[in-house]
Amino acid sequence: MDKITQVKSGVSYKRTRSHRLGILLLLSAVWFLHVATVLMAEQANEFQVKAAYLYNFGKFVEWPAGVPASQGDSFVVCVLGTDPFGSTLDSTFSNERIKGKNVLARRISKPADATSCRILFISSSESPRLKEILAAVDKAGVLTVSDIPQFSRVGGMIQFVVDGSKVRFEINRARAEGAGLTVSSELLKVASVVRVNP
Amino acid sequence: MKLFRRLALFLALAAVTAGVAFSQVSTNNFANSGGNLRELTLQQLSEIEIYTVSKEPEQVRKTPAAIFVITQEDIRRSGATSIPEILRLAPGVEVSRIDGGHWSVGIRGLQGQFSRAVLVMVDGRSVYTPLFAGVYWDVQDTSLDDIERIEVIRGPGATIWGANAFQGVVNIITRNSKDTHGTLATLSAGGTDRFTSGVRIGGGNGSSLDYRAYGKAFGRGPQYHQNNQQFDDWKMGQFGFRTDWSPSGKTTTTLQGDIYRGTVGEEVDIAAFTPPSETTVYGDDKVSGGNLRGLWKRDLASAGGIQVQGYFDRTSRIAPHYKEIRNTFDLDFLHHFKVPGSQSISWGLGARWSPGRFVPLVPTLDFTPNALTSSLYSGFAQDEIGIVPERLSLILGAKLEHNDYTGLEVQPSARLVWTPDSRQTFWAAVTKAVRTPSRLDRDLDLKAFLIATPLIYLQVAGNPNFASERLTGYEAGYRNLISPRLHVDVSAFFNHYNDLASMSSGVISSQTVPVPYTEFSIHYVNGVMGDTNGYEIAPVWKALDWLEFQGSYSHLQMNLRNQPGYSDASTIASLEGSSAHHRGMIQTHIKLPANLEYDQTLRYVSALPAQKVAAYETADARLSWRASESLQFSVVGQNLLQSQHVEFGHNTQQSVGIARTAYAKMTWTK
Repeated sequence: MDKITQVKSGVSYKRTRSHRLGILLLLSAVWFLHVATVLMAEQANEFQVKAAYLYNFGKFVEWPAGVPASQGDSFVVCVLGTDPFGSTLDSTFSNERIKGKNVLARRISKPADATSCRILFISSSESPRLKEILAAVDKAGVLTVSDIPQFSRVGGMIQFVVDGSKVRFEINRARAEGAGLTVSSELLKVASVVRVNP
Repeated sequence: MKLFRRLALFLALAAVTAGVAFSQVSTNNFANSGGNLRELTLQQLSEIEIYTVSKEPEQVRKTPAAIFVITQEDIRRSGATSIPEILRLAPGVEVSRIDGGHWSVGIRGLQGQFSRAVLVMVDGRSVYTPLFAGVYWDVQDTSLDDIERIEVIRGPGATIWGANAFQGVVNIITRNSKDTHGTLATLSAGGTDRFTSGVRIGGGNGSSLDYRAYGKAFGRGPQYHQNNQQFDDWKMGQFGFRTDWSPSGKTTTTLQGDIYRGTVGEEVDIAAFTPPSETTVYGDDKVSGGNLRGLWKRDLASAGGIQVQGYFDRTSRIAPHYKEIRNTFDLDFLHHFKVPGSQSISWGLGARWSPGRFVPLVPTLDFTPNALTSSLYSGFAQDEIGIVPERLSLILGAKLEHNDYTGLEVQPSARLVWTPDSRQTFWAAVTKAVRTPSRLDRDLDLKAFLIATPLIYLQVAGNPNFASERLTGYEAGYRNLISPRLHVDVSAFFNHYNDLASMSSGVISSQTVPVPYTEFSIHYVNGVMGDTNGYEIAPVWKALDWLEFQGSYSHLQMNLRNQPGYSDASTIASLEGSSAHHRGMIQTHIKLPANLEYDQTLRYVSALPAQKVAAYETADARLSWRASESLQFSVVGQNLLQSQHVEFGHNTQQSVGIARTAYAKMTWTK
């Protein structure tokens, strides 16, 4: 019995020492990672990239002159539903001009408010109401963009797709042209999928 | 020396990963553009790498708890065929297969077949039985393809989940039926997993009314038995459905249910008062049951919501030596809302009635009284206070819970979370939790045969004064999305226990009924205290677009001792010697050309001296081929490194070896 106790206490002594070393190592690794992260430049997150895309869509799409959105003083990008961008959209657009107009981000809650927007980003929170929303802006000359799955198949114009660790997009060219928009060839070249059937 | 070699290896690995992380940063377009994405061309934008290596949603990464999410993709690529096998993927979780249909599952120590420490929920329905304060893993199943994710929370989760979320919580969440349209049929055949077949049919309009129904059946053969007693075959059949209805965008209603029936092979030693005094019985547990759950949820203005959930759950088990039938009714209410000044409050109420009836089938195992209703009333409140908006929050909460045995239990917690930037999260928590008594601790009357001449039986008895086991847990953790391809999650804990269950010293008495014999009687007491500590490291590294590594290492130390006035050495040795000090896992996922996928998992578990289990390493591998959009074939090999290995002691003398096996599977979707 005594022998067992001796052997046991020996084992637990060794374990305690290795254990402390383990914790020390862990703490220093956490510290190292934290410092390294602080030193590195902030990298892009998904919605920073998506916001930059929205800005580029504005440059590579032409709107018909007759639609309400083209008449305003600003180039308005709207977000319908829960805004996933936070302040990213505003900081991306600040002091930028597209087609000679100041770019402005606006949050809206009703599809009816979308007619004054050049670009309408439909948040994934709206996926249960997607059909009604698309019907409401169908002929208004609004570029509809979303990351809702199947968006470009069910009547949306541009759908973001996260492919591995990269953000790509699919274009439904037929839908965009049906609404009177002209999509430049540069945009079509970069799109991962171009749909020609509405 | 071995230790130092391991340390050196660990350091070398850390250096390599850090090097890779830095080199990736310097080649990133975004870093070169000076942080202004607007100046990038469309082509450059499409090549920017974003942070998606962490499969977890943003909220999960900012959770101030040691949470690990097992996704549907993880489940599919693991090749696992049962829920306990899937749980092996989570760090800090101890899963040991005892035999074909029985597992010992623990989190951060205190594991055992009748593990009393882990709360398991399936879509908000508790599957923890008040009979022995544990989970019958053999009847916890669903269509594995319809699981959305499994959230595993290490550490006490009592403030939200209530008593018995003592060591951790396992939360199994099935997919919304709008995501399971179409037909899915699977068929597999193999060695130990002889056959599994399943069909799921789903439909609806994808927005307001959706539904699915599934059926599955399997037959599993025995594991390895040195004495050739192939008792542990396992057959089950199960049906279920789920409907999700949202009459408006703001209200959702879910109705779901399952029924099952099966047999699970069992080996038990049963004592008798007439010779032979002890018989080893090889028989089957006949199990059946069903459940029905309804959930009504409504979004309120200003990011709040209310929900009401009710469920009924029936379980029936006829074992060789007992029968138990239980009906559980549960009703829960939850309300959460934001108040000005960046506070977010949630509170809830719950009630549960669980009438159970125990029917003794042998004279040496009984629970008195045979029929008893366990009832539980609870309320909780939690306030998340944003100290620095989006950066630093304090979460204070408490759960008040009334149970029949110990009355009111208060379980408070305080958590602090700091997110210095969008990629890093530091968190820390202090929690008090209890494990309330089960019928086993209070009402058990078990007799086991000890010696023939003189005739002596051991009595293991419940104790009407058995109180709750108590835990104060201190935890901290750190998560970092180091680069778009490398994520690390580290957590450490120190748990202090009081009043853990142990056995009293024995009392000898002479009995005359039904035969004259000597009884050596012991009963449950709250006699052990002490602490456990450890840490878990879980990195995910997406080395290349087609190559991903996931790993985890879990460390555990237990230092338990008898409380003053108690002297049960065997419980301490058993608790300390039944959980592994070291657990490690490395998973490799490879996407090959021609629609092929290859996955492998290497697992290491250090020795469990109290279970007479030596340290072991083993491996699983899976190769799959997507022949067309709708047809997929896969071959899975399990426990490949040895013909069989023991993972846990059996309740009888002979341990069961978990056998090397393989199966082939066909999946058809439309």
